[in-house]
Amino acid sequence: MEPAIEWLDDPTVFRVGQLPAHSDHHYFRSKDEVTSHTSSFQQSLDGQWQFNCATNPMNRITHFYEPQFNSDNFDQIKVPEHIEMAGYSQIHYINTLYAWEGKIYRRPAYALGDDDQQAGSFSQGLDNQVGQYLKRFDLNPAMLNQAISVCFEGVEKAMYVWLNGHFLGYAEDSFTPSKFDLTPYIKPKDNVLAVEVFKHSTASYLEDQDFFQFFGIFRSVHLDAKPAVHLDDLNIKPRVAADNTAGFLNIVLKLIGQNYAGATVKFAIMDHEHNKLAVQTKLATANVAADQMEFNHVHLWSHIDPYLYHLEITIKDASGNTLEIVPYDFGFRRIEIKDKVMLLNNQRLILNGTNRHEWSCKTGRCITKQDMLNDLQTFHDLNINADRTSHYPNQIPWYYLCDQQGIYVMAETNLETHGTWQKMGVDEPSYNVPGSLSKWLPAIMDRAQNNYELLKNHPSILFWSLGNESFAGDDLAAMNKYYKTVDPSRLVHYEGVFHNTEYRDRISDVESRMYDSPTAIAKYLSNNPDKPFLNCEYMHDMGNSIGGMQDYDALFDQFEMYQGGFIWDFMDQAIMVTDEVTGKPALRYGGDFDDRHSDYEFSGDGLLFADHTPKPATQEVAYYYGKRE
Amino acid sequence: MANVNNKLHVIYGDATLGLTGDHFHYLFSYERGGLESLVQNGKEWLYRVPKPQFWRATTDNDRGNHFSQKSATWLAADMFSHCINFNVSVDGQPIELPIAPLNNKYTNNEFADQVEIQFTYQTATVPTTTVDINYLVTASGKIQISANYHGNADLPELPAFGLQLVMPTAATGFTYQGLSGETYPDRMNGATFGEHHIAGMPVTPYMVPQECGMHMQTDWVTITRDQTLNNTDQSRNPFSLTIKNHDAPFAFSCLPYTAEELENATHIEELPVVRRTVLCILGAVRGVGGIDSWGADVIKRFHISAAHDLNFSFEIAKPVINE
Repeated sequence: MEPAIEWLDDPTVFRVGQLPAHSDHHYFRSKDEVTSHTSSFQQSLDGQWQFNCATNPMNRITHFYEPQFNSDNFDQIKVPEHIEMAGYSQIHYINTLYAWEGKIYRRPAYALGDDDQQAGSFSQGLDNQVGQYLKRFDLNPAMLNQAISVCFEGVEKAMYVWLNGHFLGYAEDSFTPSKFDLTPYIKPKDNVLAVEVFKHSTASYLEDQDFFQFFGIFRSVHLDAKPAVHLDDLNIKPRVAADNTAGFLNIVLKLIGQNYAGATVKFAIMDHEHNKLAVQTKLATANVAADQMEFNHVHLWSHIDPYLYHLEITIKDASGNTLEIVPYDFGFRRIEIKDKVMLLNNQRLILNGTNRHEWSCKTGRCITKQDMLNDLQTFHDLNINADRTSHYPNQIPWYYLCDQQGIYVMAETNLETHGTWQKMGVDEPSYNVPGSLSKWLPAIMDRAQNNYELLKNHPSILFWSLGNESFAGDDLAAMNKYYKTVDPSRLVHYEGVFHNTEYRDRISDVESRMYDSPTAIAKYLSNNPDKPFLNCEYMHDMGNSIGGMQDYDALFDQFEMYQGGFIWDFMDQAIMVTDEVTGKPALRYGGDFDDRHSDYEFSGDGLLFADHTPKPATQEVAYYYGKRE
Repeated sequence: MANVNNKLHVIYGDATLGLTGDHFHYLFSYERGGLESLVQNGKEWLYRVPKPQFWRATTDNDRGNHFSQKSATWLAADMFSHCINFNVSVDGQPIELPIAPLNNKYTNNEFADQVEIQFTYQTATVPTTTVDINYLVTASGKIQISANYHGNADLPELPAFGLQLVMPTAATGFTYQGLSGETYPDRMNGATFGEHHIAGMPVTPYMVPQECGMHMQTDWVTITRDQTLNNTDQSRNPFSLTIKNHDAPFAFSCLPYTAEELENATHIEELPVVRRTVLCILGAVRGVGGIDSWGADVIKRFHISAAHDLNFSFEIAKPVINE
C-alpha cells in the first residue's frame, strides 16, 4: 500500500491500515502488575522525538521516513506537545469560522455538488503546515517475540505513519486512539517510527470546536505487546431490573490469538470490598460470552454513591500459565426516560453540570492526570455532578476517574462543523457538512464508532452525544440510529437538531438547547412537550457573569421535565506567556499572538480562570448546585 | 483649637468651608465642588473631591448585549459631570453663601451643632439631569451623606449610581460586614453574610479587565491604609476610616482603579501600578447577567431605570479616638 497525499482532500478517506476501535481496558502480565498498575506489555514512546516542520506539503521532506534518511538536521520536539506551543506554528484562536478565514478560499468537498472534489484543497494548501516526526527505539526486553502495535492516543489533524520505511497507515479523528500493527516490520533494536502530521485535511471541517487551533502529537504514544491469546475488546453489559434491585450481567469478549488450543478465559466478579460474587471459566475462542450472571440485590452506582464492582478476566494457556489479566471496574445503574422524565435508578435525574475542555494554560490541550484530578476536586468543591466532554472524547483516564468519583458524563463524539452552517451568528447552511451528504457519512460514523467502542464500559457515561453545533441532516440521523442500535442502554443527545427541526423525531432523546432564557424554557415546558429538557450549554460564564442563576434553579420546582444542564464552561482557555515588557507571567488570548482573524477573549468563559483559580461567581454555582444535589 | 462645648468649629473661608472638632478637620470646596479634604486623626482621606459615579467598566455581557453602547452617555457623565450649585445650612437654617465679602462678618470663633452643605452636579449627558450630594456634618465628626439622582425618562438605563471617593494612597486592606465574595444584584444568593476581611485591593483577573469586586448588602466597611502623601508624616502605622449604612445597606467596591482605567485595559498587566484607593459607595447596581454573552439582556428586575429618582445615603463615621 502506498500513501497518497490526496487523502487529505478526500472526505471518504479517514482511516487506512488502522486496527479497529476497541474498548479501553488495560491488561497485565501478573497480579503484581495489576496491583502496581504498570504493564510490561506496554512501552511508552513519550519524550524527545526528532522533528522537522515544513511550511506546507510542497516543502516537506518526502523521504524522511526511510531508514537511511539522514536526520541530523532535524530539531527535537517533546511528545506529547502541540507544535504551536513548541514555537513552530503561530498560535491562533478562532471560534466558529475556519482557521483559513480570509486567507484561503475553501469549500468542503462535495458540499456544493456531487462532482466538486475540491482537489488539492489541503494537499496543496499553502497554510497546511507539516510536522515530520522521527522516533528511534529499541524494544523493551519484555516486549520481544510478541505481536506489537503502536497507539497514538491523540494527533491533530491527519497523520501518516511508517515503521522502518514501511508505510503503516493514515488516521484522522484527532481525539480517539489510532493504532497500527507493527508486527511485520518491528525489530528488537534500531527501529525508526516516522509520523507525518498535517495541520489540515477534510477532518478540519469536522473539528471546528471553539478552541485554540493546534496540531501535532498532543497525547501519549506507546507500544503494546500482545500475548498469544489477547483480549481485544471487552463489552460489559450490566443491567438493573425494573424493580431497581436485581442486576444482570453479561460480558462479551473478542479475542485475538494465534492458537486458542486449550486456552481458557476466567471471569471473576467481586464487589467493592473484593468479596468474590461469581466465577466462570470458558474456553478461549475468537468470541467468548460469559453466561448471564444474576444478582438478587445490586448496589447501584450514582453521583452520591459511585459504587463500583470489580471484574477480573484471566486468560491462561493450555498449560495453565497466565497470559494476561484484565481488571475493569464497572457499575450497575439504569438511565431511562419514563413518562417523559429522565430517570437514573428510578429517580429524576438532575444535571448540575459543566462543559469541560481539556485545558492547561501552560500546555494547552496536552494535560496530565494531575490536571484531571485538580479539575475533579473543583467539581466536588462546586457541587458539579455532570460533565459534557465538550466537544470531543477526552483522555481515557478522565472516564475512569468519573466512574470512581460519580460524575455523570455526556460523551461527545468528535464532531463540530459550526463554520459550515453559521456565519456571523446567522444560520446559513448552504455548504453545511455532513448534512445529508453520503461522501461525509462514513467519516462521521467512524467517529461515532471510535467513541462508542472505546468508552462503552464506563458507568459514568449516561449520554452519547452526536457532537456539537453541526446542524442536522440524514448523516446525523444515521449516527443517532447507530448509537441507539449498539447501545440501547444509554440516551442519545444532540442539540443541533434545534436548528433543523425536520429531523426532530430522528435525532436526540432529549430536548437540548443552548442559552435559552428561563422564560423561553418555561414556554417550551408549559406547552405539552414531548421530550425532557436539558441545557447542553447555559450560563455563559464569560468574564464577570453568572447573574440570574436563580431563575434557572426555579424551573426545577415548576417543571418535572426540566433536568438542569451544563454551564459553559469549566475553565478559561488562555495561554501563559512571559510578558514581553515586564518579564512576568501573563495570560494571553486570541489576537495576542498577532493571530487573525480571531475571536479574541471569547475563549474566556470558564468558572475558573485559565490558571485554575476559581472566579468569584463560583460561590453562586456551588450554592445552587449544592441545593439540588 | 479645642472643641468648645462639643460643637463644630466653622471656618468661613473664601473658597472653602472648614469644619473641625475633636480629631477631625473637613474642608468643603466651593471651587472644586465638593468635599476636598477629610482629615481624621491627622490623616488625609481624599485625593480629589468625590464625584457622582454612573459608570462601571464594561463586562463581557455588557459588550455582548450592547449595553455600553446604549448607555455610553453615562461614561461621559462619570468623567465630566460638574458642580453647578451649592448651598449651606447651619443648625438647620439655610444661610446666604458665605463667600467674600459676605464672610467678612464672621470670626475665628464660629460654632454650630451641625452644618449641612449640598452640591448639585449637572450630568454630562444629553439631555442633562442633576444629582444632589448632601453632606450633614455633626459635632462628633460624623458625616451623613445622601445622594439624590433626579430621574429623566429620556436618558438610557444606568450602569450604576453612587459616589466615588479616591484616596491618596493604596489601602492595605478592608474589612466589611456584608456578603462574602463578589456579589451583584442577580448573583448574591451563594454568598454568606458576616464580617469579611480582604487583604489589599484585589482586582479580579478577568481576561479582559472589567467591572469587578462589588459587595452588595453591606452594613459597614472599614478601609485601612498605612501611608499618606504628607511629607511630614513618615509613619507606617495603620489608620482607618469607616463607612456605615444610614437607613439601608449599601454596595461598595474598593479597588486601586477607576472604572475608566479598567475600561481601557485589554489585559490586567496593562493596568497601572497600584497607587491610590478608589472606594465606590453605591446605591444602585445593575446586574451582571449571564444567559449568554452575545445579546441576552440582564433580567429586567436587575436593570436601573434612568426615569425615576434614585436616592441613597450612608455615613462616614466619626474618628475613632485612641487615647
